[in-house]
Order: sequence, then C-alpha cells, then structure tokens
Amino acid sequence: MSDKKANAAVSRRKFIAAAGGTAALGASAAAAPRAARAAGTAHKPHYGMLIDLRRCIGCHACSVSCKAEFDVPLGATRSWVEYIEKGDYPDVSRQFLPRLCNHCSKPQCVDVCPTGATWKREEDGIVVVDADICIGCKYCILACPYDARFTNPITGTADKCDFCQHRVSQGLVPSCVNACIGEARIFGDLNDPQSEISKLIARNPVTVLRQEMGTEPNVFYIDADHTDPNGATNNGQYVRVDTHRQHAERR
Amino acid sequence: MQQELMWGLPVVLYLFLAGVGAGALTVSASIFLRGGDVARGLHVDTARYGAFLAPVPIMIGCGLLVFELGSFETGHWFKWLNLYKVINLSPMSIGTWLLSVTVVVSVVYAYTFLRDAPGLPNEMRYPLRRKLSWLAVPLGIATAVYTGILLGAMPSRPFWNSPIVALLFLVSALSTGIAGTLLIRALFHASNPDPETGKNFSRSGYLLTAADVLLIGFELMIIFLFIMYAHLTIGSVKEAVSVILFGGDLAPLFWLGVVVIGLLIPALVESIYIVPKLLYHRDFSVPRGVEVVVPAVILVGGFMLRYVVVVAGQITGPVGI
Ligand code: SF4
Ligand code: SF4
Ligand code: SF4
Repeated sequence: MSDKKANAAVSRRKFIAAAGGTAALGASAAAAPRAARAAGTAHKPHYGMLIDLRRCIGCHACSVSCKAEFDVPLGATRSWVEYIEKGDYPDVSRQFLPRLCNHCSKPQCVDVCPTGATWKREEDGIVVVDADICIGCKYCILACPYDARFTNPITGTADKCDFCQHRVSQGLVPSCVNACIGEARIFGDLNDPQSEISKLIARNPVTVLRQEMGTEPNVFYIDADHTDPNGATNNGQYVRVDTHRQHAERR
Repeated sequence: MQQELMWGLPVVLYLFLAGVGAGALTVSASIFLRGGDVARGLHVDTARYGAFLAPVPIMIGCGLLVFELGSFETGHWFKWLNLYKVINLSPMSIGTWLLSVTVVVSVVYAYTFLRDAPGLPNEMRYPLRRKLSWLAVPLGIATAVYTGILLGAMPSRPFWNSPIVALLFLVSALSTGIAGTLLIRALFHASNPDPETGKNFSRSGYLLTAADVLLIGFELMIIFLFIMYAHLTIGSVKEAVSVILFGGDLAPLFWLGVVVIGLLIPALVESIYIVPKLLYHRDFSVPRGVEVVVPAVILVGGFMLRYVVVVAGQITGPVGI
C-alpha cells in the first residue's frame, strides 16, 4: 500500500534533520518551503495532525508521554485514548480513538473567551491558552465540542493540548508523535502540499470528529470508528466506550 | 448525574439573581414612568421598593460568579479584573461590561429614591430619577437577555443552543423581578398607610400582579414551544431535551418544581385575586400572607428554572463523535 510506504518514510530522524536543515516542517524561517521563499512570500505553516488508526494498537504511549512532557496534573488529560467496544460475541470489535485538541480553524473555545486568553496563532494555527491572562471562567471548556479542555487544578486556568509548541518551535515533533510506537500519529504542515501529512490526507479517505459542529478540526483520522453509544452509527447494537479519563463518558 | 459540572451552584444562583435584579430594575423604572409625569407618580412607592431591591441581587450574583472562577479558587484573588482589560464579542465580555454599567445605574437610580438623599437636592433628584429610569428599562432588559445568551452561544451544548433560552430567561427575569418587588413591599410596607397611599398601593399591586400573570402565561408558552420544537427535531437537540421529558434525570424537578410549583400554582392564585377587579371592578386586595407566599414561590420557581437549564445543558452534549 502506497500510503504505508509513505508513512514509513517519515522517520523521526529524517523529520528532525529536515527541520534543522532547509526544507520541511519546522517553525523557523529556515524551514519555509523553497517555493515560498523563492517567491519572496513568507510561508506560514498551519499545523495539523493525522492519526492513522490502522497503525494504532491502543497502548497509551501518547497519553503517557504527553502527561510526562507537561506534568499534567493527576486526573487531567491533554491527550487520551478511547476504546470502543461493540457487538455481541462472536461478532465483536474493539477500536481505538486517540484524542487531543483539534486546533480547529473555527475554534468555538476562542469565540467565547472573555479575556482574550485563548487564540489561534496567526503564525502556525496552533490554538493556545495564556495562563497569565486566563481567569478560569470555564466558558471555553463548555464551548469546546470535543471536551478537549480542562481546568488545571494547580494554575486554576484552562489547559489543553498545545501541539507541543515548545518542541515544534525547535524543529522537533510533538511528544506524543515521538512516543507513538506504531507511527500512527503524523504531525506536520497542512499548508505545505509536499509535507507528509498533506500527501497522506490527499491519498486517503480521512474524517474529523463531530464535523457537524462546524469547527473545522485540524486533527484528521484514517479509518476511525465513529461509533458512539448515542450516535447514529451504533445500529442498535451493544456499544461501550471507555474514555480512560476522569469523566467516564464522552460529552 | 455522572458528570462533573463545570458551572455549578454559584452560576445557577448568579443567573437567577442577576435575572431578579434586572427584572426588578426594569419593572421599577417602567411603573415609575407609567405613574405619570409628576415628581411623585402614582406608582412611586412601589417603584421605590423595586429600585432598592435591584442592585442587591445583581451585586451578590456577580460576587458569587467570582467565587466560581478557577483563578479565584487557586488563590489569584484579583485575576478576574482581566475581564476589564479587553472587550470582545464573547457574550461574557459584553456581559461583564453591561453588568457593570447596570450595577452603577441601578445604584444611582436607587439613590434617587432615598428621601433627603445627601448631596442631591430634590430639584436635581426628580429629573435625575426620570432620566435614569429611561436608562434602567433597556439596561435591565439587556442584562436579563444576556444571561440567556451566555448559555445560548455554544453549539456544543445543544440544550442551550437556541434563541428561545434568552427569551425564556428574559420573561422569567421580569416575572421574578415583579415577585421580588412584591415580596419586599409585602414585608416592609406599613400595615395602616394613609388612604391615598393605600389606594396607590393597591393600584400598583394590581398592575404588577396582572402583569405577572401575563408573563407567566408567556413563559409557559415559551416552554411549550421549546419542548415541542426540540421534540419534533432529530439528533442532538432531541436527545438533550429528553432529560427534562418523562423518564429523564431532571424531569421531576422540571415538571413539578418549575412548571407546577413555580408557574402554574402562582399564576392560578394570582388570577383568583385579579379576576374580581378585572371583570367586576371590585377592589383589589390581597391578604398579607398571600402577598408574601406567592412571590416567594415564584422566586423559588425561577431559581429551579435556572438550575434545570444550567444542569441540563451540561449533562447533555452532541450525539455521535
Ligand atoms: S478542539 Fe476544542 S479546544 Fe481545541 S481548538 Fe477545537 S474547540 Fe478549541
Ligand atoms: S477559562 Fe480562560 S481561556 Fe477559557 S474562556 Fe475563560 S478566560 Fe478564556
Ligand atoms: S501534541 Fe503535545 S500537548 Fe498535544 S497531545 Fe501530543 S504531546 Fe500532548
């Protein structure tokens, strides 16, 4: 399968080498695609993630590395892996669904923030929260259709995945991408048609979560099972979702 | 209820109290203006109770809101002042500024009702009161509507995400504002006023009680439309509204607490007292006990409405993933 080959080609070493050198995915000016630089226009990356569920084994390495990277307080999760079990024996299946903030192009969380503490960055499309400004009103937490946010019990502010901006700005891949043993998580620049992620999205059927919310997520999935106990896809069968979070249910 | 609530009792109380205050402000200013273009209008005594009441619940509500903030809970006592560093299109940002203006106007408005208010001679006091009334009516309405828009702004919360929640909160705010005013009046007015004052009291009482019956009727209609449209649709909204329909987690509280106790019973009792005057031009008089209990029940109903709506919006979400 061509996409598998392509996927295997994005080794982390290559990624870092490329970002440190001239060509692809880093956030520094040096990483702007040649074409853009030649044309004299500043290339602005727009970061996204693709999660290829054919390669995910539900090991939680991403969740754990994310927790370690940020010292995410006990009980809170920036990234988590849901298990979806369905069917009656012997016709059963178990699927995995790694979750994180979708860094939406139309982020509802940003629209409702009264203090301007959260915004989508012009320069790279990452949706960030500034803990120095955030007052912890929790409006954004309610407004996010993906339950991607939580109140950090230590700072009292809204917190969530920030696409590891501290790593990405140094030309590294996010911690969860780095940790994924199946290379199921692919991170990169959606604005660059030559990036690995753009190529994979172009070549495969991809989906996003809760598309009907109109948030235009930038986290894409290949082969995701969108079955939900309340959803239209459960077909009346037994469905159990294990969120592996403090809230046992999706919301 | 399995889920932890992001917005708990402080927010419920805040939405309720801001509604009562905003309603009382609008009602007080409207009846004052309706009382005639004289310094001491027909309804001025009742308007005074409303004016004194209005700022209190609004300020208590805003104070409670600060307690609910994550920053406050972690010891950043004054971080909420960041709300005043920007103004953007977030309903909460607009609401913050609106509430602040409303608090200031309602306090000054109340001050103009103080007899012999220090530093405010009567020849300045009366025109100021009149001007502020014209401001107070729209500010009260805007504050009440805003409490609904705050919830309605989010597609991620299908129970709230409709324009009718703001309308419901507005009507409920006016009704509970009337109830608050009538309750304070019943508690504090002299038992034997002079005949002229007594007559005006009864007139204002009738005006407010009759208005309240209309408002409650309107509220019931909004609730009917809300449920009917939600039920006729499919998907997230239908699922969300099922928590207040029969078999839902919040159904008993909603139907018994909000609809029967909070709306139907008070409207019936109020009707019993207004019908004789409405149809047969008899005198309007309400026993003191009823004067106290009915508004109290309406206030409890208004609180339960906020409670049900705030909780229902958070324990439901979009269907599917
Ligand atoms: S997933 Fe949620 S928190 Fe992340 S950008 Fe989208 S709306 Fe905001
Ligand atoms: S919790 Fe913080 S980031 Fe979220 S809406 Fe409130 S102030 Fe903004
Ligand atoms: S990108 Fe970083 S913050 Fe986001 S889920 Fe991965 S490790 Fe966590």
